Amino acid sequence: MDYTETLRLAISAIWAHKLRSFLTLLGMIIGMAAFMLVLSLLQGFKVYVDEKIAGIGSNSFSIQRFSFEDFKDTDSINAAQRLKKELTFDELDYIREHAKLIDKIGAKAGNTSRDVRVGSETLKDVGISGVEPVIGEIDNIDIDYGRYFTVTENNNSMRVAFIGSDVAKNLFPNGDVLGNEIYISGIPYRIIGVRVAKGTVFGQPQDNFVQLPIKTFGANFGGLRFSRSPYFAATSKKEVKMDDAVEEVRTLLRIKRKIPPGEKDTFGIVTPDAISGLIGSFTNTFGTVILFVPGIALFVGAIVIMNIMLVAVTERTKEIGIRKSLGARQADILRQFLFEAATLSAIGGATGLLLAFLLGYIVSKIAIPTVIPWWAAVISISVSAGVGILAGLFPAWKAAQLDPIEALRAE
Amino acid sequence: MYDTKSDQMYRFMENEESEGQPRSNQAPRTLISMENIWKTYQMGVEQLHALRDVSFQVEKGEYLAIIGPSGSGKSTLMNLIGCLDSPSKGNYWINGNLVSDMTDDELARIRNKEIGFVFQTFNLLARATALHNVELPLIYAGMRAAERHEKAMQALESVELGDRVGHKPNELSGGQRQRVAIARALVNHPSILLADEPTGALDTKTSYEIMELFEKLHQEGNTIILVTHEHDIAERAHRIITIRDGKIEKDEKTK
Ligand SMILES: Nc1ncnc2c1ncn2[C@@H]1O[C@H](COP(=O)(O)OP(=O)(O)OP(=O)(O)O)[C@@H](O)[C@H]1O
Ligand SMILES: Nc1ncnc2c1ncn2[C@@H]1O[C@H](COP(=O)(O)OP(=O)(O)OP(=O)(O)O)[C@@H](O)[C@H]1O
Ligand SMILES: [Mg+2]
Ligand SMILES: [Mg+2]
Repeated sequence: MDYTETLRLAISAIWAHKLRSFLTLLGMIIGMAAFMLVLSLLQGFKVYVDEKIAGIGSNSFSIQRFSFEDFKDTDSINAAQRLKKELTFDELDYIREHAKLIDKIGAKAGNTSRDVRVGSETLKDVGISGVEPVIGEIDNIDIDYGRYFTVTENNNSMRVAFIGSDVAKNLFPNGDVLGNEIYISGIPYRIIGVRVAKGTVFGQPQDNFVQLPIKTFGANFGGLRFSRSPYFAATSKKEVKMDDAVEEVRTLLRIKRKIPPGEKDTFGIVTPDAISGLIGSFTNTFGTVILFVPGIALFVGAIVIMNIMLVAVTERTKEIGIRKSLGARQADILRQFLFEAATLSAIGGATGLLLAFLLGYIVSKIAIPTVIPWWAAVISISVSAGVGILAGLFPAWKAAQLDPIEALRAE
Repeated sequence: MYDTKSDQMYRFMENEESEGQPRSNQAPRTLISMENIWKTYQMGVEQLHALRDVSFQVEKGEYLAIIGPSGSGKSTLMNLIGCLDSPSKGNYWINGNLVSDMTDDELARIRNKEIGFVFQTFNLLARATALHNVELPLIYAGMRAAERHEKAMQALESVELGDRVGHKPNELSGGQRQRVAIARALVNHPSILLADEPTGALDTKTSYEIMELFEKLHQEGNTIILVTHEHDIAERAHRIITIRDGKIEKDEKTK
């Protein structure tokens, strides 16, 4: 008997018990859907992070007071607070002057949360930060309207603002934004540009911000100290390795701060590798743990399929006897039931995948981006068919071993 | 691929020469050879002997009827001949090969290609149409869909069921079911036709039409073994074996 014939047989056997097949597959469907949904969330998260890093530019890095490792536990936070010192504009100028491998470097400060007012409209809790004009190039900022800051505006601490699209939309519903003024803590700032909308990511709105020239920010928000102390963003030159540029900046800062050899840095440097490495290790541990649960559901689903296949073999003993009496070999019967189990299970897997797609679509509309990679879809169908084959192995073997005359006598 | 009739015969004959020989010289060269066959069922503490020490031989091309009262062991014997059941004691050779030595695949091949079996209880697949039921042996013979469809249609038309091909067994009358079973047994053009009361559910006229189909197969050189209660049917055969209480009571050539 050939494979298309066997497949046709399997489908008609499954179709003959539609409701039973569906109920049998429920566990499999839910297990697979949960599995794929979790996977798609993890994948979506990873893709988001990768995109974010690509957006910043893979050759950009930042120099901050603290590094990632400082947030490991309370001890390291305390130690870092004692050891690490705020960055200064002196240091920025020193790097700018001496670095040979750096393309651009600029300072940022803040995020301070304030209310923003226009006329009688007030927008609560808007993130306010200060930037040097060069940040527009370093961060690859996409401008929807207007322009970014000029050096003159920064040097003269001019009251100008570059805003996120949510701020623009909420405070200027009629769309006329550029040149208008917004009030923060009673001081007016003239809007010079609006950034392209980024939407929400992990429930966090990305477009609810106001940027000011860093000098303006320092002058009007209590000085560039403490939580408003500056940090630097830098890009390496195209023709050099970023690691070399990072090393150069580190060496320069150590010289400037007169740190003796062998002692630890009193500052932190954060590279895209460090970010994706950290997030990668997080998603890997988290992923293994969280995929374990749907894995159990899949396992239970497999047992249910095995059970129903055993029932099917018992129910169809007579049929098996008839087929054997007409020349079916053990291999034919084995294949028939294995195909049936595999097809059943693959249908469950495919339905689960479909469900995961739908749920994933809804989730990405509401909160988090989800991505079902094509390889995961292929794997899920193959895995579920494989699970079906494993689950069907014993029942199919039992069927193949039946004695023809005994089977024929069954009713 | 589907074997044509001549291929089948050729292979079967070749079998006899090549595989029959190496088995000791005692291996009989007849088509069917039963030697001191017993079939015993254990019913609780009691033993029920459905067949007691049955021995006989059937040559290729014979036309044999088995008669006997109800419960005498006819169907039991047919199941043994058809390689569906195995004896409790004794030896059964088919074509010089000891059946108990054959592998499952060899037995499946014989059931598929050499034997056509009309069961007393029909044994049709309840979920399948008449057409699909008749196609089954051809499916296991590996025939392509279009070809087996045509063959199965022909077989059904030969038993005058061309207008019932889409019916499932429970949508057919008793006699029609029996005719589907007959069409299924004939469709592979078997070299041994085993028919257990093939006309039990049929009227006289239809019975005779079926018997003519059997006789046509016989005239082509194939072997027919049938169980019957009806005298006029038995009398068409060339040899009649009478069974009583699991024993051969009489074995006579009538033609
Ligand atoms: N599986 C079985 N277990 C126990 N006894 C059996 C079994 N099969 C058949 N028998 C017994 O063996 C005897 C022979 O049965 P068999 O079916 O061969 O009779 P038969 O000659 O075909 O009868 P009929 O003409 O009624 O079909 C009967 O007494 C029956 O009860
Ligand atoms: N469920 C059904 N669906 C479709 N057709 C049916 C169904 N049951 C019976 N038939 C058709 O009705 C007709 C009469 O069937 P019925 O069983 O009454 O015949 P019958 O006279 O008893 O024949 P027999 O002597 O063969 O038993 C047949 O042609 C049969 O194919
Ligand atoms: Mg009988
Ligand atoms: Mg009737």
